[in-house]
Amino acid sequence: MPTNVCTAKASYKKAPGTLELTDTHLQWSQDGKKVPSVRVPYHEATSLFCSKEGAAQVRLKLGLVNDDNGHNFTFTAPQAVAYSERETFKRELTNIISRNRSTADSNANPAAAPPPIVAALSASPSKAPTPRPAVAVASASRASTSRAPSVSSDRRTPILPGTDAASDFRLRKKVLMGNPELASLHRELVMSGQITEAEFWEGREHLLLAESATESQRKGRPGQLVDPRPQTVEGGEIKIVITPQLVHDIFEEFPVVAKAYNDNVPNKLSEADFWKRYFQSKLFNAHRASIRSSAAQHVVKEDPIFDKYLEKDDDELEPRRARDEVADLFINLGATLEDHGETGNQRDITMQPGRQRGALPLIRKFNEHSERLLNSALGDKPPAKRRRVGGGDGGNDAYGQLDLDDLHDPETSVGIILEMQDRQRYFEGQMASAAAVEDARKKAFDVRPIFKEARDSLVSWEYNLNQLKLERKPGDAALLSMTQNVASRLDVKSKKNEMPPDLFIQLTTCQTAANEFLRQFWSAIYPPSTETQTIAPATPAQKATKAAKMAGYLGKTHEKVDALVRTAQVEGVDSIRVQVAMKPILDAVDHALAFYHTRSAKPTKGIN
Amino acid sequence: MKFFIDNLPIIFPYDRIYPEQYAYMCDLKRTLDATGHCVLEMPSGTGKTVSLLSLIVSYQQFYPTRRKLIYCSRTVPEIEKALAELKRLVEYRISCAETPEEKEKEQNFTGLGLTSRKNLCIHPEVSKEKKGKVVDARCRDLTNTAVCEKARQDPGSVDICDWHENLGQLEPGNLITPGIWTLADVLQHGRDNKLCPYFTIRRMMPFVDVVIYSFHYLLDPKVAEQVSKELSKDAIVVFDEAHNIDNVCIESLSIDLTRPMLDSAARSVTKLGEKIEEIKTTDAAKLQDEYAKLVEGLEEPASEAADEDNFMSNPVLPDDLLNEAIPGNIRKAEHFVAFLKRFVEYLKTRMRVLHVVAETPLSFLQHLKDITYIERRPLRFCAERLQSMIRTLELNRLDEYSSLQKVASFATLVATYEKGFLLILEPFETDNATVPNPIFHFTCLDPSLAIKPVFERFSSVVITSGTISPLDMYPKMLQFTPVVQETYPMTLTRNAFLPLVITRGSDQVAISSRFEVRNDPAVVRNFGSILIEYSKIVPDGIVAFFPSYLYMESIVAAWNDMGILNEVWKNKLIFVETPDANETSIALENYRRACDNGRGAVLLSVARGKVSEGIDFDHNYGRAVIMFGVPYQYTESRILKARLEYLRDAYRIRESEFLGFDAMRNAAQCVGRVLRGKTDWGLMVFADKRFARADKRAKLPRWINQYITEVASNLSTDMALTLSKLFMRTISQNPNENQTGISLWTLEDIEKAQAKQRELAIISEQDRGEAADDEYGDGGIEDEMLVDLDLDF
Repeated sequence: MPTNVCTAKASYKKAPGTLELTDTHLQWSQDGKKVPSVRVPYHEATSLFCSKEGAAQVRLKLGLVNDDNGHNFTFTAPQAVAYSERETFKRELTNIISRNRSTADSNANPAAAPPPIVAALSASPSKAPTPRPAVAVASASRASTSRAPSVSSDRRTPILPGTDAASDFRLRKKVLMGNPELASLHRELVMSGQITEAEFWEGREHLLLAESATESQRKGRPGQLVDPRPQTVEGGEIKIVITPQLVHDIFEEFPVVAKAYNDNVPNKLSEADFWKRYFQSKLFNAHRASIRSSAAQHVVKEDPIFDKYLEKDDDELEPRRARDEVADLFINLGATLEDHGETGNQRDITMQPGRQRGALPLIRKFNEHSERLLNSALGDKPPAKRRRVGGGDGGNDAYGQLDLDDLHDPETSVGIILEMQDRQRYFEGQMASAAAVEDARKKAFDVRPIFKEARDSLVSWEYNLNQLKLERKPGDAALLSMTQNVASRLDVKSKKNEMPPDLFIQLTTCQTAANEFLRQFWSAIYPPSTETQTIAPATPAQKATKAAKMAGYLGKTHEKVDALVRTAQVEGVDSIRVQVAMKPILDAVDHALAFYHTRSAKPTKGIN
Repeated sequence: MKFFIDNLPIIFPYDRIYPEQYAYMCDLKRTLDATGHCVLEMPSGTGKTVSLLSLIVSYQQFYPTRRKLIYCSRTVPEIEKALAELKRLVEYRISCAETPEEKEKEQNFTGLGLTSRKNLCIHPEVSKEKKGKVVDARCRDLTNTAVCEKARQDPGSVDICDWHENLGQLEPGNLITPGIWTLADVLQHGRDNKLCPYFTIRRMMPFVDVVIYSFHYLLDPKVAEQVSKELSKDAIVVFDEAHNIDNVCIESLSIDLTRPMLDSAARSVTKLGEKIEEIKTTDAAKLQDEYAKLVEGLEEPASEAADEDNFMSNPVLPDDLLNEAIPGNIRKAEHFVAFLKRFVEYLKTRMRVLHVVAETPLSFLQHLKDITYIERRPLRFCAERLQSMIRTLELNRLDEYSSLQKVASFATLVATYEKGFLLILEPFETDNATVPNPIFHFTCLDPSLAIKPVFERFSSVVITSGTISPLDMYPKMLQFTPVVQETYPMTLTRNAFLPLVITRGSDQVAISSRFEVRNDPAVVRNFGSILIEYSKIVPDGIVAFFPSYLYMESIVAAWNDMGILNEVWKNKLIFVETPDANETSIALENYRRACDNGRGAVLLSVARGKVSEGIDFDHNYGRAVIMFGVPYQYTESRILKARLEYLRDAYRIRESEFLGFDAMRNAAQCVGRVLRGKTDWGLMVFADKRFARADKRAKLPRWINQYITEVASNLSTDMALTLSKLFMRTISQNPNENQTGISLWTLEDIEKAQAKQRELAIISEQDRGEAADDEYGDGGIEDEMLVDLDLDF
């Protein structure tokens, strides 16, 4: 019996009931019913939304892993009580959700998931911003939380499905959902019990692998600058919605804010105060990516806490932070500058860099931001993409950059020596036989008689051409046959959709099922291919039984087709067309069966 | 592969060759045979450097005279690339050598590159200095003869540089093993063996077969005096990437003075005075000695002074040096100091004027004489006299005297040249500035002055680049007669690049960087949408160039506020060129990483800026170049106005013609950086309505211009995008057709071409023999033949 953490009266989809939080689930049961109609396991909860305080109804919305719409609960108790109840739920659920997130992106910055808050700012300079309590708990949308903190840290090798039954099942389900045809085949064969689940997936591992690879691939950081733009709400107030993702981004982009956060929260400032003051501080203004920050200037106030962290604008010609010189002389611009003493007149004012003072910190910010993004994606690893295929000899980079690769003779490459026994003899033999063929050809083609023949045949071509007369009858016949041909084709085109849809579906299913059996059959007969990864290669005995089983199924294909033909007759469709349609598959089945029978006739050979 | 041009065996380090490379080599050889000068334009990225080096090294190794090669390039990255290319060529030659003697001959082939002390210093303390000037000064303090002498007599009494000292123990001319050394190699060699890389190279200069350094080392008299003096006259001089050579020439004879400089110079003069007083009491004989020497005539020829002792040489060209004794009124040290003081004071007074003054050197000298009684003759010796005095006084930390040296150079230059120079005093930086920040420009207007000694001294000068159209402009501006003048089209089996001219945005508003409209929001937005759209469709790297720093900085800020950059961030990372060179290098490095990684990036930079020169954006580093606006110079600049006037009067080059030429060569230079090799591809977007005009496009190099179709010369953004997408779809497919024989030649193709050429030659010879007997082998006919060959094949 699960213990209840908290309960409250709440309505769901307008039906009154009870909302309960047990230690594993959040559940809601309609009044008068015993079994809860909504049960949400903890690990599925991803986000939480609450109605504004003072709203007519006290609501709570829970977003789920696979469902952003989630569940909406309305607390039905009198408002004061409802409010406190909601707070209890909120507290508990927030904890659960943040736990979920931290497991989801286990290496996210621990500071990434503080309880989400909204800071409300007053834009009117005259009245001091009245600290309003957090209006609503906003949460990052799923898209932003599912983002990988850094792509490089999440590059795990795809695990072979099957190691974890649950995840394997999930993958299969996803593959089937994404591929309706495969799903219908699966329904047809597996659910009807004709072949087992494992058999079905055998030879289709690549689909699962691909799926798990796509799943494990995380979206990298978006390129945009972290520049929270305030939204103006009515009443001259400015609102900035802070999501955990934004907080994370701000900390990463401006380490000084992270430092300030660590220094001041929660001792000196509360979480909410911290953000409120930050967005009003000069520090925030310095971080904004705009040189037109004067618009917000009047909001900016002295702030003893944040002004400590303020740095001077980086708008000198030389950057404030000196960096190491670039070692690669091929791109070292400074070396050119120092190559000779300065000469000449100074450049005209349009060509003097850094005349627009305000733009410099911005430009530096761009460069730094891009570099940071790049580092977060690459780490210190060498570039994944080789610069040029086959460029450079022996990895000599300097030459690689200079090389004009199309000037190399492609045939002069050494190539890979084919390792095989008695190579010499093999090639000698080849050469000998080739030489023999060549000789034979030489003998065969003595050109002179051919020339002669050709010349003779052309002697009186003009006369021959004049003699040429077309007989009427064959001409007519040809024309007639052509007309017929066109007519029949037109015919086929016009009655293309004559087949009743039901029958058509039956035909297709029959066809795909037979195909699947054939696939299974041949995969059991042939030695396993080395390219596809299989979970566990079947033993010969297993394969033999499987082949037998499949042969059995295949044997029934004829009956099925006959049945279909009969149905077609009932439906009034030309049964020959059905037969024609099913002919190829029947041929394939016959071939397989014939192969099977001959093979089983001489069992000594066996399958290996 | 190995083939012959006439009877010269060429070793080319690839299995195939582009037809234009072959034609280029043929023309180059003709120039060398004729011992004349040439102007050659070869499409960017078709392996100009390797063909040039391959031919010249073959030439050097084949003929017993072994003419030295002086190869000049613009930037250190280009110097390093040329060295690496040379190194690989020589390695290939060694591997191709047939006999042991040949092999040895190839192995003894030596090539070095030279750059500044700042770039080559490995002294643990000195190399940490940020400024090149300081590194130079500190290096001199540790390495000059006097200090070394002292250290040898009394070890430990003075600081010396061990790395430099170790060099002295080696046999001169054998400081480094023969072979090709890139700058990075020499640095590593220096670290491994505790030898000074800079002086290793300097002292090896007379012994090497190839020297690679920047234009300034040959053109700037202040540097050339020290570095390039001993180079023999039969050397082959190559100016690669020479499209800006006229600017380098002008720069090397121009000087700026500002008020802080004059203040610092005045302080230095006072310091000198004090020092002289001090020496008078301690070592009066020294001064007396110097005086005696000066009376006798020139103190000592600079060639006798060791490299380590040179710190400042005469800023005037060797022909203009006076070979006579220093005038009497500045021979005495204290007199000279008083003289300098007066001159600096005079300049300071001139700076107080609050209106713009432009005057010729003659009128300046006249005014100077009226006010201060300073004559022209002593002024002309100013630099030399200062040099002698500093040497006598054995001063340390010369970087502190750099302003004074500049003033002295100014004095000498202004007193030496009358024609082709102008003095401009600008009291305010801009027209609407209120706080005076005066600058005294002494500006050279005639680029032919600085390069004249080079043409006179060396028999073969090769001027080459990817973009020096129109070709006749350079001989006109630099005043020389080339024996060969050639531009090569690019042979392509499929169009590897797509030049597009966007004249209006999708909203049909004309776009232009013309001053009146460039900050119009519609134009800014349309420029922005070009960047956004291209960042969506182009893979890997995009490079965008702006006409000026001022414009780039303002437009970047505007784009950010308009949310345009936010759109770009969605597709690519953004890197921007900054005023600091090292910071920009780091941005560039990251840009390349982003391109390699596949994330893709946009690099915003400036035409004529740091990035536009010497950095390649080949393959994935640049799939599209966008040129926002026409990179015209700032036409309000007084210096430019003066220069235009001079060009018009002296060489009959119209102002608009020169401005257009200059803008287009820079635009071509920017877009030309996307290609390297014929399998590479890229888009070249010219976004300005003025590019649509035929007279503008005619100034683009032929190899770019021939691929601009009528349709592509006047597009709106959306049309350009459609064309670009189509282009990328076709170019990304594997080219099935074999390029060999058309845009790639094998050895057989070369031989075929040569056979055909011989045939033609015989025919034309016969024709000519019939027509006129007296006309004899002017070589002109061969040009036409080569062009024909290109078209036929």
